[in-house]
Amino acid sequence: MTGTFAPAERTARVAKVAEEHLARTDREAAFPVEALAEMRDSGLLGLLVPAAYGGLGGGPADLIEAGMALGRADTSVGMILAMHCQQAAAVVRYGSEPLRADLLPRIAAGQVYLASVTTEAGKGGHLLSAEAQLGEEAPGAALTVDRFAPIVTGGAHADGFLITMRSPGAVSENQVSLVYADRAQLDISGSGDWQPLGMRASHSLPLKLTGSVPAHQLLGGHGGFHEIAATVFGPLAHLGWSAVWLGTAAGALSRVLRLLRSPESRGRFDITSELLLTRLSRARQRLDTVHALLRHTLAMVESDGDLTETRSQLLLNSLKITASEQCHAAVEDLIDAVGLRHGYLKDSPTRLELALRDLRSAALNYSNDRLHLADGRLALRDQGVHFA
Amino acid sequence: MDQRFTELLRPFLKFTPGGAAGEPVAITPETDLRALGIDSMQAIELLFAIEDAFAISLPDEELNDTTFATAGSLWNAVAAQLTAPTGPVAP
Repeated sequence: MTGTFAPAERTARVAKVAEEHLARTDREAAFPVEALAEMRDSGLLGLLVPAAYGGLGGGPADLIEAGMALGRADTSVGMILAMHCQQAAAVVRYGSEPLRADLLPRIAAGQVYLASVTTEAGKGGHLLSAEAQLGEEAPGAALTVDRFAPIVTGGAHADGFLITMRSPGAVSENQVSLVYADRAQLDISGSGDWQPLGMRASHSLPLKLTGSVPAHQLLGGHGGFHEIAATVFGPLAHLGWSAVWLGTAAGALSRVLRLLRSPESRGRFDITSELLLTRLSRARQRLDTVHALLRHTLAMVESDGDLTETRSQLLLNSLKITASEQCHAAVEDLIDAVGLRHGYLKDSPTRLELALRDLRSAALNYSNDRLHLADGRLALRDQGVHFA
Repeated sequence: MDQRFTELLRPFLKFTPGGAAGEPVAITPETDLRALGIDSMQAIELLFAIEDAFAISLPDEELNDTTFATAGSLWNAVAAQLTAPTGPVAP
């Protein structure tokens, strides 16, 4: 990406706004509307939209830079951008030309923030299956959506939705189609309260969506979601989320180090304490490990190889599992390092308490348990143990 | 495709329309395995069944989603081992 677009500056603007409103959005479990407005104004929503459609023309490397930078400020805001970008990338790669021509310029102009509707009651977090079926009276006719989703991050504020549904005429729940719908094409009703432990600003509510969209708003053909998940959703989700979590933990470590080195704190902490030094080292070691794995996985994704290969899928899943565990563990180390006052209280400038709550979600956000089951099956396919 | 192969495949295709109770449906090279019920766990069980039945071992590089996409792509991987110069491995 050329310097003309200065994505780092755009990200810094969003991070600054996010940090200004952080205490309130966390306390009130409120969506970060100010940070979203800055994402719209700064052009950051168009980070992965090609320049030909008015976007910033960025790629996976730009996504992880933005994710790390926003994660340092606010995990929720970082995840909101990462998830939006993963949706946008699916439109870029799998959208029909009429859909791309209509939607991508609006994303780039900051008019469309995308939410993902992949959760469904009763399927236990299975991304690749769907219960509710997409309606289609005849091939090429309008597609009808009638769908409940228990968790839609930013659903109340999104301008467009990418929705998974069982394909018309499907004989099994494994045939899943992905459709795009503008907010105006849907009747949306939401209910329920969002009162989570962490990620409180991500405002993820249950939604009921009904409506009808033209056939050209289908992405990747009927049954095409499996490929979209393997080539775009999965890789960009795991890269983007891991970057945000790494940013969160890196921000926490940085604030702890600033505290330890600040003139006011001298004398309050014994920086020759071997226990303190060892805990700082452990936290740093965990972050360097995640960073190395993130860069290595990025290189694999950028090499344009076949991401559906067993070894590639294993690496992508390992990144997510490792980042979710190690970033959380690093913050735990830091809490032990600085103790109750700066490790456990909300008003500490270290914000460790918030980081720990936010990062606790990482293992659950596409459950590590489920990924381990997938990885066990994948491992059985590769008895020679080949590495990506 | 070898008839032994299609018969071995059939019980794994739990979503084959009419396959369970009615007339056996035709399994063609285009039969979409994932759509008809072969998920990642079933793929491993199917792999073991094939390796036992044909006394072969499919190479790691063939064990990807592309191979398990259709009956034809899976049969091609199996057939390649049956005709490999070294022949089938001892059971």
